[in-house]
Amino acid sequence: NTAKSIEDVKIRMDFLEGNLKDLLGNIESKTDYRFFYTDQAVKDSEVLTLDRSKGTVADILKELARLKNLHFKQVNNNISVKYLGENQDQNKVEIVLERADINVKGKVTDKSGEPIPGAAISVIGTTVGTITDIDGNFSLTVPEDGELMVSYIGFTTQRIQINSRSIINVTLEENIAGLEEVVVTALGIKREAKSLGYATSTVESEEMTINRTPNFINSLQGKVAGVNISSMGSGPQGSSKIRIRGVSSFGGNNSPLIVVNGVPIDNTNFGVSGDVSEVGSNRRSDSGDGLSSINPDDITSMSVLKGAAASALYGARAKDGVIMITTRNRASGSGIQIELNTNYTNDTPLDFTDYQYEYGQGEGGLRPTSARPVSGVWSFGEKIEPGMTQILFDGIEVPYTAQPNKIRDYYRNGSTLSNTVTLSSGGENGGFSLSVANMDSKAILPGSNYNRKTINLGFTQNINKLTVSGNINYSKEDRINPPNIAEQDFSPVVIYTLASTMPLDLLEQYAFDENGDEFPYSRFTNRTNPYFALSRFENNIRDRVYGNITARYDITDWLYVQGRFGQDFYSRDSEYNLPTGSQRQSSPPPGFVNGQYVQDIRRFREVNTDFLLGMNKSFGDFGLMVNLGGNQMYRKLDVNTLLGENFYTRDLYTIGNASKITTNYSISERQVNSLYGSTELSWKGYLYLNGTVRNDWFSTLSPANRSIVYPSITGSFVFSQAFENLPNWMTFGKIRVAYAEVGSDTDVQPYANNLFYNINQQQFPNSNGVAQPVGSVSGSVVPNSNLRPMRVREKEIGLEMTLFDNLRFEVSYYDKLSSDQILQAQISNGSGYVNQLINVGESENKGVEMYANISPIKTADFEWNFGANASYNQSKVLSLGDDVDGSFITVGLAEFHGELRQEVGKPMAQLYGWGYLRDEQGRQVFDPNSGRPLRSNEQLNFGSAIPVWVGGFTNSFNYKKLSFSFLIDFKLGHKMISGTHTNAYRHGLDKATLVGREQGYVVGDGVNPNGEINTAQAPVQTYYETIRSGRMSEQSVFNAGSWQLRQLTLGYDLSSLIPQNNFIKGLRFNVVSNNVAVIKKWVPHIHPDQNGIISDNMAGLEATGLPVTRSIGFNLNVKF
Amino acid sequence: IDPTFQLNQAIITSSPGYNNLTYEVTIVRQMITPFQGVGTGGNLNQDNRAATQGNWYTYYETIIKNLVDGLSALEDMPERTNLEHIMKIWKAHAFIVLTDTYGDIPYTEAGKGYIDGVVFPKYDSQESIYTSILNDLEAAVQGLNDSNDDIGQEVMYSGNIEQWKRLGNSLLLRAGMRLSKVDPSSAAAYASKAVAGGLMQSNDDNAVVRHNADYRNGVGTNLNGGQAPFYYLDKELVDFFKANEDPRLTSIGVRYVGALSGNDQVEANAVRTFDAQIGMPQGYDNTTIIPVVQQEGLASLFDYSQLDRSRMGNPEAPNFLVTYSQTLLLWAEAAYRGWAPGDPEELYHAGIRAHMEQMALWENSMAISSEEIDSYIAAHPLEVGKELELINTQYWVSSFLIGHEAWSNFRRSGYPILTPNPYPGSDLKDEDFIRRLTYPDSELTVNKENIDVATSRMGPDILDTRVWWDVKQ
Repeated sequence: NTAKSIEDVKIRMDFLEGNLKDLLGNIESKTDYRFFYTDQAVKDSEVLTLDRSKGTVADILKELARLKNLHFKQVNNNISVKYLGENQDQNKVEIVLERADINVKGKVTDKSGEPIPGAAISVIGTTVGTITDIDGNFSLTVPEDGELMVSYIGFTTQRIQINSRSIINVTLEENIAGLEEVVVTALGIKREAKSLGYATSTVESEEMTINRTPNFINSLQGKVAGVNISSMGSGPQGSSKIRIRGVSSFGGNNSPLIVVNGVPIDNTNFGVSGDVSEVGSNRRSDSGDGLSSINPDDITSMSVLKGAAASALYGARAKDGVIMITTRNRASGSGIQIELNTNYTNDTPLDFTDYQYEYGQGEGGLRPTSARPVSGVWSFGEKIEPGMTQILFDGIEVPYTAQPNKIRDYYRNGSTLSNTVTLSSGGENGGFSLSVANMDSKAILPGSNYNRKTINLGFTQNINKLTVSGNINYSKEDRINPPNIAEQDFSPVVIYTLASTMPLDLLEQYAFDENGDEFPYSRFTNRTNPYFALSRFENNIRDRVYGNITARYDITDWLYVQGRFGQDFYSRDSEYNLPTGSQRQSSPPPGFVNGQYVQDIRRFREVNTDFLLGMNKSFGDFGLMVNLGGNQMYRKLDVNTLLGENFYTRDLYTIGNASKITTNYSISERQVNSLYGSTELSWKGYLYLNGTVRNDWFSTLSPANRSIVYPSITGSFVFSQAFENLPNWMTFGKIRVAYAEVGSDTDVQPYANNLFYNINQQQFPNSNGVAQPVGSVSGSVVPNSNLRPMRVREKEIGLEMTLFDNLRFEVSYYDKLSSDQILQAQISNGSGYVNQLINVGESENKGVEMYANISPIKTADFEWNFGANASYNQSKVLSLGDDVDGSFITVGLAEFHGELRQEVGKPMAQLYGWGYLRDEQGRQVFDPNSGRPLRSNEQLNFGSAIPVWVGGFTNSFNYKKLSFSFLIDFKLGHKMISGTHTNAYRHGLDKATLVGREQGYVVGDGVNPNGEINTAQAPVQTYYETIRSGRMSEQSVFNAGSWQLRQLTLGYDLSSLIPQNNFIKGLRFNVVSNNVAVIKKWVPHIHPDQNGIISDNMAGLEATGLPVTRSIGFNLNVKF
Repeated sequence: IDPTFQLNQAIITSSPGYNNLTYEVTIVRQMITPFQGVGTGGNLNQDNRAATQGNWYTYYETIIKNLVDGLSALEDMPERTNLEHIMKIWKAHAFIVLTDTYGDIPYTEAGKGYIDGVVFPKYDSQESIYTSILNDLEAAVQGLNDSNDDIGQEVMYSGNIEQWKRLGNSLLLRAGMRLSKVDPSSAAAYASKAVAGGLMQSNDDNAVVRHNADYRNGVGTNLNGGQAPFYYLDKELVDFFKANEDPRLTSIGVRYVGALSGNDQVEANAVRTFDAQIGMPQGYDNTTIIPVVQQEGLASLFDYSQLDRSRMGNPEAPNFLVTYSQTLLLWAEAAYRGWAPGDPEELYHAGIRAHMEQMALWENSMAISSEEIDSYIAAHPLEVGKELELINTQYWVSSFLIGHEAWSNFRRSGYPILTPNPYPGSDLKDEDFIRRLTYPDSELTVNKENIDVATSRMGPDILDTRVWWDVKQ
């Protein structure tokens, strides 16, 4: 059993000339020895000539060592071969003998204690090795002084001295370098990260579950390079705006495609000016999007495919990237596991108003001395002095005192509680995972709540060569009274416009008159009393089932066929009222009460059916992977709406109680058929070439234009593997290049090529009293039957490196050209229409994405990890094409002033608005009679509404079981026209309007049209009000950027405190805080994220949203 | 769909909206709000761009769009000539309102965004628009024929061809008379043709939108909703009624005596007597009016007379667009000028009578007895030397709440003699009254090239600029 020393074994060589491999092979064939090359480079073809053919093995080896400057080390029967550097004096042959082999057992786990099945264990310098079983256990016979090497994809390889131990448990650290990382790419195809020619980012589930937000995606803001996530000022039930690599199309849809387990799901957003406009007056609430029905606890991983090359296989809808979500379908180990996740946060509304409280409510320098109608919103009254009173409502006299805490007093603290229980099992051939979750979120608006219940069942099972897996997700979302935002009518954000001395308690007390109607407090009837507005209700209930079933059959070990069927179905029942008796509405016909009641039911279905034939085979140094597939996507939406008005009975909001009922039914269908193929050719595991091609046929476009073919080609070169003599500190290095095209019809609504007519529900009596039909052209968009699919062409190049094992960085440069964009461009109303649907020109997005991660300090007990990501995106409109006259198109108008344009030669989304007239020297010009500022002759350009820089910094610290991390994110380089500021300014709330109050007039700093210094005195209120009648934006333009301390997380892993064999296996507790602080912002009065409007066509045209909340709470994770 | 339905939509939408009060009705001093904010406009002599665009949007996006679209569809139905003609008559009415408001506007290329793909229509000169309108009206009236297609589904006259002819001729008279300053000979020719062709014969022929619970009156709904305490009868109108002992004041006005606030404007305080009515003076806002209120011995500004929102300002009250009374008064002027046959004084009196009788069409309680009418007429002869003033002043009363027509006729005739709005800080440069409304900002943005052509022809896009027919005399 014991090996013999090479000095004791004699040998006669069969030949004296040959390369090293042949010579050593000759020794192997005559002895029990085995040679191992720790240095592959020595296996070259250099011909060596031995002086002797006989002697001990050691003699032969010594000679070889001399000839080639080698080092041999014998360990029992294994002999390792290594290249020695020049001028090394050390022994060239070492012999280690008569060491006993011992049996070593152990378990390989990850940091959280989860077993790692399939980890490779080998003994360094030998062929001995094994892999761990499903529970992470291994058993191995090794030399007692040997060294184990434990490796697993995605984890840092560890070397462990055996030191005669018989039990060795190994905890593997996740490998930030991710050399062997596997990425789920388009269509669910798993590929090695190093083979990819484009940028992807993977997000760990912990990023979504520990410090969470009701719409989970919002918690990822600032964490993924190139991804700009904006939570809206719309409360917890609201939608989220995700933009990857800027905005590609001039208007319309720039959202990424959401794919769950390989199948797209719907992400329609119900935000203000979003994808859906609902029936009913003043209905401007945000009731979420498709992502909001996902429970983050069900997610195992998420990857973001950013560029066109990454998403080319998904085609049209993926032109703005793909968010790929994988949900649980089995336990991570074997056996049955139960996991409980509890999360609670308390949410405080943040008040950023910076108003003046020196002057109180009033007009023309006078405070209200008689009752209705006071303005309620104008603070051009008198200087507040002790003892003064004001008369409000129907003659109530109250002190004339500052009311600075209205935001905090009106809104309550919100809270969010979520609980998820997950039961899962796993075994050799499959497993399942079942989770049940409930989330209750109380918004800061009284009476506004959001409840989400989800059930997720995932399973996977292998039956010989067949693998069947699937998942079914059910979610029920109840949105009770989502706040009405971005307007003043029936909205809780009217608070932002209330006069400086308007007492909230009085508004509450006098919300209703004795009839239950709104008691007028302001003569501006659209400024609904915020307490009366609480009698508005809106309930949206969405029942959603989505999931898919996949069957994969491995024909051979290199060929498989897969079929998949996925469906996303939901029904959304919604009801809404406009409360009876508001000042805003006109009085009803005699005998009726006013108000509205709307019921609508929408049913949505998207079915994706696809097949895939895949092969993956090696031919020597070459590898070939080919996938061929096809997909049919079918979407159907039908909506029934009932609008009731003129009620018989007061306070009974039903359709049956309405005397005027307007009904509507709409249906739309669209289909995209696709065929596609992809191929990957690899050489020696470090050079990869990928190509894809896809053909789409769109039902929304005319037959002549509906087919489009688009290719992609990418390459990846892992130079750290290709060149062996790179310095040691260069752990990993890869260069990638990509080019891809994608075609898209996503901005075309079904039937957009036809003109439709509408016949009114109510007939109109002719002069004889006989009712006659009334009808009109439906819609305000000029239809276009000649639309072509939009096309995106993107070039990308990237570098990924890992240095010194702990510094990883990645840089990508992309150049994305979008052409033939489909857009609703504003036209002259003189044409009878407001917009036309056209293909327009070209725009480009160029940018750089950067990501770096480093652990500056890493000891056994303490680790500091620093991650940074940043993206720089610069867009430019290149041309507008032949269908457009002039150099710009207007794509969005704010309600009061300001508009968004796409202009040739400028970055996309240019904000424009009227400004002040200035003379050639730049001096402001005032009207010589009135003293009021004159308006500019044309609209002024204020810059782009799209951020240039987006990114974030994460610092995390681990000390033993204690962890602490914080995230700072930033968005920079863009502008906004703040509607909140406009109101504060014209109402005399903004501090800038204090100028002139003392003397009662303002003399503007500038000149009159004749160039003389302006001396005209304008009354204070008239002066500041000019921006309203002149629709001027200039004074309300601000840098929209911000630096924010977004998240704080403090955690403790209590697992080690639990005694062994307890039924609790893991326990982790985290204290979390979100939206901790705004470090720097430029816009006054609001939080930079507080915009209520989601549409890209209105980007930067801010209208007040619900206050942003700071949440503080905890997360508890228990494993059984 | 049947183009008749689109015509019906166009007719209903022609009813003046609440925005009509902001400028038109205020400029001619019929009603006034002292409040700034959304109501800012003619009351402060300011160019409130949010309000000046009201007619533009309503007309182009609904009325013009549907009439042009419907007329285009009729090209494939050559047998439906009657429908084509009445749609052209109503289209002429629409363009009269539009061009009188703004001056040069899109006309030949208007409403053709879909049909011809013209999305940035050129602006036509008002002169050419009037030429075309007059030709269209003449041709339409001549083309209407009882033996052709049935137009029974239209809501204005229930398909009565004769009544449409009378409306067509009455509009021809209106459009023709519009040229009295700029082109008197054409005005004379068209007036003569119109009268010869047959004008409206009674209040049954009025072009009116009969509002109901489903299709409500935009002015009425606002004055009965939150805007109730904001609009008052202008002092000049009330003073005219009072000076002339005009019984229409009691049909139109109401005063909530002693009202300290909008809350007091309730039926219990309502006084509709002739003597109690007090009109609000122009030139003040809600704070500067306070001393005036005190001087007049009123409780507050809420104590001034208002349009009676329970009757003429009712949400279901009809809106008259072209009336028998207006037509008679125009005829009286034409007759006085010798452009048409007829006795000016008889026509003048008939015009007054028609409007007084029209009161009952709003509501029976507003009816003015024939005795009152007779005595008013007896007291108001057509004084020699003041014919034009008297006729057009009655036209001003007759056009109450038809803001556009009252304002246009004031600009054309120069009557009634009104005091310019003295509110300080006027946006007017040289003129005493607003002569046109400014184009929508959206047009200045997307259709600037065509606007530039228009303004180089017409004058700058300001409130001072006079439209083509409004030459300074």
